[in-house]
Amino acid sequence: MATALNVPPATTTTTLPQMKKEEEKVDYLNLPCPIPYEEIHREALMSLKPELFEGMRFDFTKGLNQKFSLSHSVFMGPMEIPSQSSETIKIPTAHYEFGANFIDPKLMLFGRILTDGRLNARVKGDLTENLSLKANAQLTNEPHMSHGMVSFDYKGKDYRTQFQLGNGALFGANYIQSVTPHLSFGGEVFWAGQHRKSGIGYAARYNTDKMVATGQVASTGLVALSYVQKVSEKVSLASDLMYNYMSKDVTASFGYDYILRQCRLRGKIDSNGCVAAFLEERLNMGLNFILSSELDHRKKDYKFGFGLTVGE
Amino acid sequence: MASQPRRGGVSLPERRAAKSDSNGSIISKLSGSPIVSRGRQAASDAVLVTRKLLKSTGKAAWIAGTTFLILVVPLIIEMDREQQMNELELQQASLLGTPPQPQK
Repeated sequence: MATALNVPPATTTTTLPQMKKEEEKVDYLNLPCPIPYEEIHREALMSLKPELFEGMRFDFTKGLNQKFSLSHSVFMGPMEIPSQSSETIKIPTAHYEFGANFIDPKLMLFGRILTDGRLNARVKGDLTENLSLKANAQLTNEPHMSHGMVSFDYKGKDYRTQFQLGNGALFGANYIQSVTPHLSFGGEVFWAGQHRKSGIGYAARYNTDKMVATGQVASTGLVALSYVQKVSEKVSLASDLMYNYMSKDVTASFGYDYILRQCRLRGKIDSNGCVAAFLEERLNMGLNFILSSELDHRKKDYKFGFGLTVGE
Repeated sequence: MASQPRRGGVSLPERRAAKSDSNGSIISKLSGSPIVSRGRQAASDAVLVTRKLLKSTGKAAWIAGTTFLILVVPLIIEMDREQQMNELELQQASLLGTPPQPQK
């Protein structure tokens, strides 16, 4: 749901204010893990877009220190190649990924390198109490496919603002302000020099303890509305509507998210005829078993994956 | 019965012109009569319609069945396990003598 045309991560609006009982407006700190979409849709995305995969996945994370950890990950399975014809072409691939993480309250560093030559790096650090820096880079063997982005976030009392620079002359800025304890509005502008495109977008988010409703409009033609209702402690239901007024493309999806003690199950059904489910089950302390399935009835494309995650 | 290249939907085939057989026995005359040929047409149309209905019902049942299998069956299994674990905990709590915790 990024409104930037090239896929590089966040044109993030990073403010999600919430109400505390005494004060009027309180800033809400983001989760430490950066999400490459608009944070405003975070709840809906968590429920409706799990990381579905096809094949086998194995992740092992080993902490060497309190702050430093290494991770090894193996993936084997078919990868889809974007093709001109309507048929999807899948090629079996396998790769091994080695990563290192350094996590500190003030500084976080992530690095990943794959056997097919790709390198991902992410940095998140607090320069001062209110100003923080986020950077990420993806380097590949193929020419012109590497990109990087730097963003500076400033957190005010009840607002947040962010300025981004990316390669290919990508500039973006966004601002979000909380208007009432439950409601916040934001806007963003971006300019992509390489594609000579620019855009402006607006977003609004209304949240209470039990529900979150967000809406987003962008000049790239995207209108996205989402609604998440927390039905109980363990269950939440989400629905999402995406409409592109340039290409007249509509997609609606509904999903559920069950967080039980031993497992987390997410399921969703789509108006494109896609049904997906994602199950993470805790077999033991530190051992998680993952099952992912996706049926596309319209294209008759069925994908199933399983995996194991070891380590915290 | 020409099969028209149409996608989905139920369409009745074109009607053959009724052949009338004038020379021959009374049976062939009867079987050539318009009422009998109409009846035959109606029967074959009914067969065709039923076949198409069965096919689309089969398709719908397949989609509904696999969707149910993916969306609902893991949910039932997990909720069942959760319930079993809750009961076990309750049992253990009452065995150990602690008062049972209020269930969420």
